Amino acid sequence: MSRFEKFLAGWSFRGSTPDYEPGDVIEVMVTGDAGGETVARIGDSTLRIEGAPDDAVDTRVRVAVETWDETTHRGTGTYRETVGESAF
Amino acid sequence: MPVTDGGFGDESASTNEPRISFYGGKWASTVPIAFFIVWAIVQSGVLGIGDTNGLVVGALVGTILGMFFARGDWKAYADTIFEGMTQRVAATAIVAWLWAGMFAETLQVGGFVGGLIFAADALNVGATTFPAAAFVLCGLLATGIGTGYGATVAFVTLFFPAGVLIGANPVLLFAAILSGAVFGDNLAPVSDTTIVSAVTQDADIGGVVASRFKYAIIAAVPAFAAYLIMGSVLSGASLEGAAALRESATAPGLVHLISMGVVIATAVAGRHIVEAISWGLIVAIAFNLAFGLSSVADILVFTTTDPTPAAALPFVQVGETAGVGGSLYSGAIGFFPLIVLTLLIVAMAQIMIRGGGFEAILEFLLDSVATTVRRAELTMVLGTAAINGMITINTAAEIAIAPYIARIGEKFNINGYRRANILDANTSALGYIFPWAGGVLVGYQVMVGPDGLGEQYGPEMVVNPIEVVPYVFHGWFLVIVFLLAAVTGFGREYIPDRISEEVSRA
Repeated sequence: MSRFEKFLAGWSFRGSTPDYEPGDVIEVMVTGDAGGETVARIGDSTLRIEGAPDDAVDTRVRVAVETWDETTHRGTGTYRETVGESAF
Repeated sequence: MPVTDGGFGDESASTNEPRISFYGGKWASTVPIAFFIVWAIVQSGVLGIGDTNGLVVGALVGTILGMFFARGDWKAYADTIFEGMTQRVAATAIVAWLWAGMFAETLQVGGFVGGLIFAADALNVGATTFPAAAFVLCGLLATGIGTGYGATVAFVTLFFPAGVLIGANPVLLFAAILSGAVFGDNLAPVSDTTIVSAVTQDADIGGVVASRFKYAIIAAVPAFAAYLIMGSVLSGASLEGAAALRESATAPGLVHLISMGVVIATAVAGRHIVEAISWGLIVAIAFNLAFGLSSVADILVFTTTDPTPAAALPFVQVGETAGVGGSLYSGAIGFFPLIVLTLLIVAMAQIMIRGGGFEAILEFLLDSVATTVRRAELTMVLGTAAINGMITINTAAEIAIAPYIARIGEKFNINGYRRANILDANTSALGYIFPWAGGVLVGYQVMVGPDGLGEQYGPEMVVNPIEVVPYVFHGWFLVIVFLLAAVTGFGREYIPDRISEEVSRA
């Protein structure tokens, strides 16, 4: 991202339920692990992540989005790699 | 817990098992930091003492007090103090503060403030427009030197009397100076609050500054208009015997706009903040010496008590007391109390994390309050407002709440830039609004202190801190902008939207 683009980023009203397309590869924080399923909550949308490590919660991972339902704002994705962790 | 909540499951129970056991349970691990917050409220809020060293003692006493609640031989407790103090978040901020302090002080000795006053004179700024001009120029100075406190002291010392003497309203002028300090503290890449907000949220400082520009400018434009309007509505104080205060103002100091620009441009370009400030510092020293703005001794001086051949050197002098001085020295030394305080606050936070108190508070917020992304952002905005209303030393308040902003934000995948902006907005704003705020008190001290403005010019030069509250327009507008941003989603970015530069480049 160029310096100019950094100043222009975010001049918009972003909704609370972001949507993604199958095929997108995104970086997300893993926010929960319930019932054996690893989940990333992005705003009020939810992405279930398959193949994530057991200790993935509170780490930042790269995920390939496999399915996405724009009505319920929920989708599934496949774990690619861990790229970071929580700030605290 | 059902997955329908987005996954705020019971992961903490399995992976973050408390490592220190406390009498009274995990909530007892919050004793050190809770004691410190109460101490800070009493010291700064109730007694009106803006002394960072006093907060250091409060943190030390709180840390010792917490030890008596720890079960066992206290070794784990002591180890956790060291573990907290060696966290990268503290080290990064400390390194940046040392560089920023040297740069700010070198600009001061180079006559930058005098240059700004000269510019106001040259532009023929009158009584009604003086407060608006003070807001812009103080904002510029604070953005350059990165310390709103320093800018407030400099402007109240030099700019405030000049403005009152030409007929500007004292309350409005003081408030305008405080607004400028808010703007700079919020936006400056070398500001302590900017640095803390960026490094605690895993974001690079250049990107944080660029991303917060929109909020700052949206608040600043109406604030500037408000100062213009109120400047013509509110009358000035009548003062006899105007002093020639502006004699100190000379044009050459304006050359430091370039020094400041070098830092801002290199920081925003994504270079390491230490590198950016080092270049600014080199340019500032070169300008000071080349244009005769300051002597070598103003920048660095060794004072000896015995005459020595070395005294012929420009950075050695003979005096009554041996010591080291100059802008590089005093600029760095000035941050030492804040550095110690930062280390202790991070240590207390680590005790709370290892004792389970942090997770308990976080779970309460996430389960009961921040249940949607909009409510999470409102919680972050109001949480920073509340803590800054209580702890009036703004950087201390920011460090105390930074871990919560990070974790609540991460639980909704809110981008680090957005988290850093929410964290810093109220920290910058409220630190200069309330009568007990540290930023207000440092300016007030210039008025009422020994040889203060009141003593020199009379009571018209003393503004009651409570009177400025409604007129710190930029501060209030910044708070309002972020409340609206949380509700409407303006400026919201999620982690997948864009990746912050590495924090190591902060």
